[in-house]
Amino acid sequence: MKQYVLQRFLQMIVILFGTSFIIFFLFAMLPGDYIDSNISLTPQRAQELKALYGLDQPVLQRYFTWLGNALHGDFGYSLKHQEKVLSLLNKYVWNSFFVAIFALVLTWSIALVSGVISAIKQYSWFDGFVTFFVFAAMSFPSFFISLLFIKWFGVDLQILPIGGMIDTGSDSTGLAHLLEVGKHMILPVTILTLLSIGSLTRYFRTGMLEVIRQDYIRTARAKGLKERVVIFKHALKNAILPAITLLAFELPGLFSGAIIMEQIFNWPGVGRIQLESVSFRDYPVLMAFTMFLSCLTIIGNFLADVTYAAVDPRIRLK
Amino acid sequence: MKKGLKGLFSVIILSMILSACALDSSSTKDSSASDKKGNTESSSAKSTEVKEYKATNLEALPNKTKARKDTFIAGISAPGGVFLPYFYENGWDGNATDPMFAPLVNLDPTGKPVGILAEKWDVSSDLLTYTFHLRKGLKFSDGSPLTADDVAFTLTLLHDPAYAGEQDISLTAIKGGKEYKEGKVKSIEGIKVVDKETIEITTEEVNAKSLLILGGQVLSKAYYGKDYQFGKLDYLKELYPKPLGAGPYKFVKYVPGQEIRYVANEHYYAGTPKMKNLIFKVIDTSTSLQLFETGELDYAGFSADDDTVEQLKSLGFANLEVGPVNDYGFIYVNNSRPQFKDKAVRQALVYGLDRQKIVDVKFKGYGTVANVPVSKVSWAYNDEGINKYEFNAKKAKELLDQAGWKVGSDGIREKDGKKFVIRYLTRTADDPIIPIAKENYQDIGIKFEPEIMDFNAIVAKLGTKDYDFAAVSTSQILDPSDPVEEFATGNANNAAGYSNPKVDELIKKGLNTLDIEKRKVIYHDLYKELNDDPPVILIHYRQSAKAISGQIEGLHPDNFTGISASLPNISIKK
Repeated sequence: MKQYVLQRFLQMIVILFGTSFIIFFLFAMLPGDYIDSNISLTPQRAQELKALYGLDQPVLQRYFTWLGNALHGDFGYSLKHQEKVLSLLNKYVWNSFFVAIFALVLTWSIALVSGVISAIKQYSWFDGFVTFFVFAAMSFPSFFISLLFIKWFGVDLQILPIGGMIDTGSDSTGLAHLLEVGKHMILPVTILTLLSIGSLTRYFRTGMLEVIRQDYIRTARAKGLKERVVIFKHALKNAILPAITLLAFELPGLFSGAIIMEQIFNWPGVGRIQLESVSFRDYPVLMAFTMFLSCLTIIGNFLADVTYAAVDPRIRLK
Repeated sequence: MKKGLKGLFSVIILSMILSACALDSSSTKDSSASDKKGNTESSSAKSTEVKEYKATNLEALPNKTKARKDTFIAGISAPGGVFLPYFYENGWDGNATDPMFAPLVNLDPTGKPVGILAEKWDVSSDLLTYTFHLRKGLKFSDGSPLTADDVAFTLTLLHDPAYAGEQDISLTAIKGGKEYKEGKVKSIEGIKVVDKETIEITTEEVNAKSLLILGGQVLSKAYYGKDYQFGKLDYLKELYPKPLGAGPYKFVKYVPGQEIRYVANEHYYAGTPKMKNLIFKVIDTSTSLQLFETGELDYAGFSADDDTVEQLKSLGFANLEVGPVNDYGFIYVNNSRPQFKDKAVRQALVYGLDRQKIVDVKFKGYGTVANVPVSKVSWAYNDEGINKYEFNAKKAKELLDQAGWKVGSDGIREKDGKKFVIRYLTRTADDPIIPIAKENYQDIGIKFEPEIMDFNAIVAKLGTKDYDFAAVSTSQILDPSDPVEEFATGNANNAAGYSNPKVDELIKKGLNTLDIEKRKVIYHDLYKELNDDPPVILIHYRQSAKAISGQIEGLHPDNFTGISASLPNISIKK
């Protein structure tokens, strides 16, 4: 087991370097850099600025400069925000995280319960209703459903705020502040949950259906175990095992920000910063953030593999 | 006016991404006062373009608005938190710094210079030396005095070799500026502080745009200059979040991604503004209407269309203004490619395109066809004697025939064995130019192939002249020379690859005098020449709708400074 973990860990480091290299070159290949996108500069001035920002050097050299600094924990200054990349991301990433974590917990709990119940009561009215509902929720484009909810709850009923994270001009602190933020969070969290609940519910339902048909479940029933014990002790555990992989994939999603939702609800999350950094070719931000997400993805995979190995001896042996 | 340039640019990008903009300084008030100077433009046609709708029912004001007794809230799209003029990299930060940093000279609603911190200024007869006379007793918002030394410091800072901001001070060609930048001298020869309230600046080139650059926002030497060493500007980064200026408002707090709060500056030269609190709230265009409707905003700008205008009118509590925006849209034509070299071919391409239809589809009645390369709000706009190039496929065909482009067997024109094919770069698949131009050009025997790519990619292709046609829009036009300068032969930004000696001369002449009446005549000649020998295909002028809450008085958004010029004068109706 130790050897397996170590082996996977070393692989992870190599993959990280490879990823940083590929990402850097892909961004460098995008036509136009930060200075180019400013059409009103004179060429002399543009040249001066490129030299100041180091954009006039060859790509390979820029990569190694970046890598050297990054290894020392220095991810540079955002060109657009004129601020250290880390402090910039730190300012926004948690806002995205809080919405995402609430949405994640909600999605997984609702999907687990409704998926399992639909599986046990396959083809019942409940199953039909859940299936219809999750497909409907999944098929709405996010901007449409967001605007619809804003109209209903923000404009017509005026019970929830239209956007933002705090009331305009509010100076609340402590509990009042938490409640205020919580109120602003209701719509974004609801919408993220609605959008992602569909696939997960179907996933749990299928997983459960498969397991229920296994021989050992029949054996358990034949032993005369109570249906509840059969389902929750024998079936459920095996049915959610593959979900470990899915959960690991959620890790980067927690920090990546939901671009459309953040835009529409004026949520000061990191998705907006990311989108901006692409359109303005703000390389330091783009690199740092993309690398951060890649790290999380790779770590997520690593954790999933290790967890799998821990719970399923067959994988360790290979 | 770096703010203008930078701001406008981000505005373009943002409006590309978001398809509209809120607090952009390219606001849209066409003051009919601009026509009273009695120039040749048809003022009747112009004033009909600004439609005003007064609030009919103040009872309908949302409770949130009524509850505000001393606060004004305006929308802003995406400020970044760099609150220092000349140093921000984001046009919205320019909007955010405007209330805090007053310039010496600004533009009035008609686009003419007007003194703010400068009481008056003199320009020498050779148009090279500017003398600014500051108002007496000016103070920064911390109560410290503002003197000519601060102006000199600001201009010197912009010459520092480490300065990486947007302002290109070299355009003003201040005497000795280059030597200072290269580190050869300790101070700039052309900047002379005469006394506390007078500064004299000597330049080496006449440039009509220098006045606004030299008379820009003033930074405090005591505050921003205390750690200044030549070639090192990093210390300023510490001060980005702690602005200090001499504007009508002073900084209170920035909540990242949410709002910027200001409070009235009691040291403002014109007296403490009546409105105590000012908030710029970060908004998204997809919900700015809802925010305005529920009273979260007192002021918001919208791209004009019937739905939005009707909705705003139906609110009853909004004062609404629908008018032209200070920019225009056009298609770059690559004059350096052989098929577009011939003037007649370019004329044919304009005649052969149903621009009225494009504008109607795109703006649904809130736009007009452009034939002069400047906005209708500019003092230089004059369409007298301008050929309107009304859609005329027959004429286009004749011109192409004469130019030697003969229709081939497949219906596509060819010359010297080359087919006439136009590759058109645009940003969105729903660009109405695509279907209309495709049909129109097909009809006159030209193949039209659209290609969709992002803005930076288009800019990169324009830079290397690797395109046939490319759709763009100008930035906010502060000076009429802004959009036409690039058509000069050899201008580095001449993406059209255009060359016309007469145009070159007129562009130069237009910047060689500071007299607006003289410049009007020069630009009129220039527009006639550019009309006859078109470098690009002008497409549209657009309009926007501005809504102001009915309880706000004294707010007059204009096309050159947005709302910042009227911020000191706003109040809540009692």
